[in-house]
Amino acid sequence: MLTREEGEEEQEEEEEAKGRRRAFSINDNVDLLAEILGRLDGRSLAVAGCVCRLWNALGRRDSVWEAVCHRHVAGGGSSAAGGGCSTRSVVAALGGYRRLYRLCIGPALDRLAGSAGGRGSTTTTAAAAAAHHLSLSLSLSLFSIDCYERLGGRQQPPASLLFLCKPVDVS
Amino acid sequence: MKRERQETVVATETEDEKGKGRMEAEEDGGVDELLAALGYKIRSTDMADVAQKLEQLEMAMGSSAAANDDALLSHLASDAVHYNPSDLSTWVDTILSEFNAPSPPLPPPPLSPAPLQHHFDLPPAGTEQNSTITTVDVPSGPRCQADAYHLDPLHVPAVAGRIVYGSDTQSEVSPPSRDRKRMKLCSSPPSSSSTTDAATSPAALPVVVVDTQESGIRLVHALMACAEAVQQDNLKAADALVKQITVLATSQGGAMRKVAGYFAEALARRLYRPQPARNLGRSTLDFAAFDDMLHQYFYESCPYLKFAHFTANQAILEAFAGCRRVHVVDFGMREGLQWPALLQALALRPGGPPSFRLTGIGPPQPDHSDALQEVGWKLAQFADTIRVDFRYRGFVAASLADLEPYMLLGPDASDRDSEEEPEAVAVNSVFELHRLLARQGALEKVLGTIRAMRPRIVTVVEQEANHNGETFLERFTEALHYYSTMFDSLEGGVSAASDAAVGGGRRDQAMSEVYLGRQICNVVACEGADRTERHEALAQWRVRMGRAGFEPVPIGSNAFKQASMLLALFAGGDGYRVEEKDGSLTLGWHTRPLITTSAWRIASAAC
Repeated sequence: MLTREEGEEEQEEEEEAKGRRRAFSINDNVDLLAEILGRLDGRSLAVAGCVCRLWNALGRRDSVWEAVCHRHVAGGGSSAAGGGCSTRSVVAALGGYRRLYRLCIGPALDRLAGSAGGRGSTTTTAAAAAAHHLSLSLSLSLFSIDCYERLGGRQQPPASLLFLCKPVDVS
Repeated sequence: MKRERQETVVATETEDEKGKGRMEAEEDGGVDELLAALGYKIRSTDMADVAQKLEQLEMAMGSSAAANDDALLSHLASDAVHYNPSDLSTWVDTILSEFNAPSPPLPPPPLSPAPLQHHFDLPPAGTEQNSTITTVDVPSGPRCQADAYHLDPLHVPAVAGRIVYGSDTQSEVSPPSRDRKRMKLCSSPPSSSSTTDAATSPAALPVVVVDTQESGIRLVHALMACAEAVQQDNLKAADALVKQITVLATSQGGAMRKVAGYFAEALARRLYRPQPARNLGRSTLDFAAFDDMLHQYFYESCPYLKFAHFTANQAILEAFAGCRRVHVVDFGMREGLQWPALLQALALRPGGPPSFRLTGIGPPQPDHSDALQEVGWKLAQFADTIRVDFRYRGFVAASLADLEPYMLLGPDASDRDSEEEPEAVAVNSVFELHRLLARQGALEKVLGTIRAMRPRIVTVVEQEANHNGETFLERFTEALHYYSTMFDSLEGGVSAASDAAVGGGRRDQAMSEVYLGRQICNVVACEGADRTERHEALAQWRVRMGRAGFEPVPIGSNAFKQASMLLALFAGGDGYRVEEKDGSLTLGWHTRPLITTSAWRIASAAC
């Protein structure tokens, strides 16, 4: 993927050198961009959503987040197409993969990476190690409990996932 | 041998003191409790002896200081301190360690009354040659006093033949610290001499907060002694001990203090309200609503309930493999937090979701609000979003024993019986079965009802402890250990998770502690039908289930993996342990198992 992108950039420079008859920007090919962004980890994807409107819109596409989720949890990507379809519909009904990541998978991965100590120097290795321990089914279970709690207009905010949350430092 | 000789010497010498000793013994009633607050359990049989010996010592110590002689003697005569010899040594040790660390050795601490100080500068014994003390009259007198008190650190050379007073002996750290300790011991009676206000005096005493471990041990001993006293119907002693426990508990920190507080409160309830306290039993309706709220906080703050739900769900999911119609009966519906996860798992299983029927059972509500129906409606809404065919029925029952099989199987079954396959039934009970043990025959009836429904699987989650022993002391001891571990896990788990989240985390923890405190109160203070928290260990449940015609179903490794993963998500979760034992899963804190999930089915070979 990266080489293709580089190739395109070279091509772009070439073409610019040819006097800008035809300019190629990655933003022209949205699906390609989505494919690339789907390989990021959650935090980077959220950051990428701050780049421009297009990237922001892509960052809200559930398919992108679906790719992110499956990449970071065990047992997600290996499901068959049929299973994948039903999973997608269920997750969509519960609120979508982006929400799933934000509420369950993201905090869970942070928690696992944190508790793993100073093992991985980079976040990616830590995340990879963490993914080993987190399964899609567990995250979906937690997600479904949270979704259930939000039904019916509770007086108190749903708190079943509070145990995953880190305290927010607002100093 | 030598000690005996010394003691006989003492005995003969104090013949004339016996009159005084007796007088002091009669004053003991008032002093007893106060010293009990310090941690000395005084037995009235010992007191006369101890008084005599102490008088002798103090006389000997004060005999050479002519000026203050009368004041000292009269003072001491009226305000004698009575020690339990065996406790004194440990108290001394702790004071020593406490005061050896900071070292202001020489000046005696400013304790009232002033005249006493001078005399108590005299080290009762010292490890140094130049700071020993002996009496003038009897060379080995004080030595034998020391022996009688079993003061281990006082390794006094037997006879030195010198009396040393005042500050010129204060050359070492250790003797003065012993002084200080001795001073504290002896100065306490003046401030508390003949008062009978037990409640106020302990606060006025210059009680030293000894190191936590020592006082922790003493706290546990006090709790055990109180329980023993209660069992023996020795209400006066129990009463005194309860007060002592309350004072000692303040010197502890964290989990131990809270546990001790709850146990002390429960003991107090037991002593002062012999009538079965109705508001502790599940029968009161107000209790039920508050209990639900506490249950919710308990769910949020620690992994026990989540573990229970996840493991039970996994067992039910596996049992329902391949069934097109399933029916789950939940003995404790509450908020229905167990079921969204099961519904979602069923929706995602290969082959698609079955048609799902849920029967929820709950206690009657105080405001007659239909909480069960609301929960059912919410679950139906949830099932609708994930497109699972869902039917719900709620039952209000004050006790599970009121249920009959025909109620639970219900009309829905008979509608479709001829056309479609019979539904697979699962029965789920999380912390509900033990309540039935309060009434004779109730559990057998319920198990019979369960059998009549011919379930595929029965999931039972119960506390892993025996709080249903024959004697009160047994139950008390077990409960003390169990709830200490539970409170420890709450400290470890929640505090790690929310260091900065002052509001949410602490409140969750506090509410969870109240929740557990109610259980403690029930175990300790209630009896008979009101004592509903009759926890029993897995081995006992196996026997009961076996007798009712059930055989265990091993819970698979998937549940184990999921449970381990779940626990890894809890901050401070390295204390939690999931273990598999004969097919059941146990969640514990460090080495102590706390709750167990087990699965059962009807025994195939019904003998």
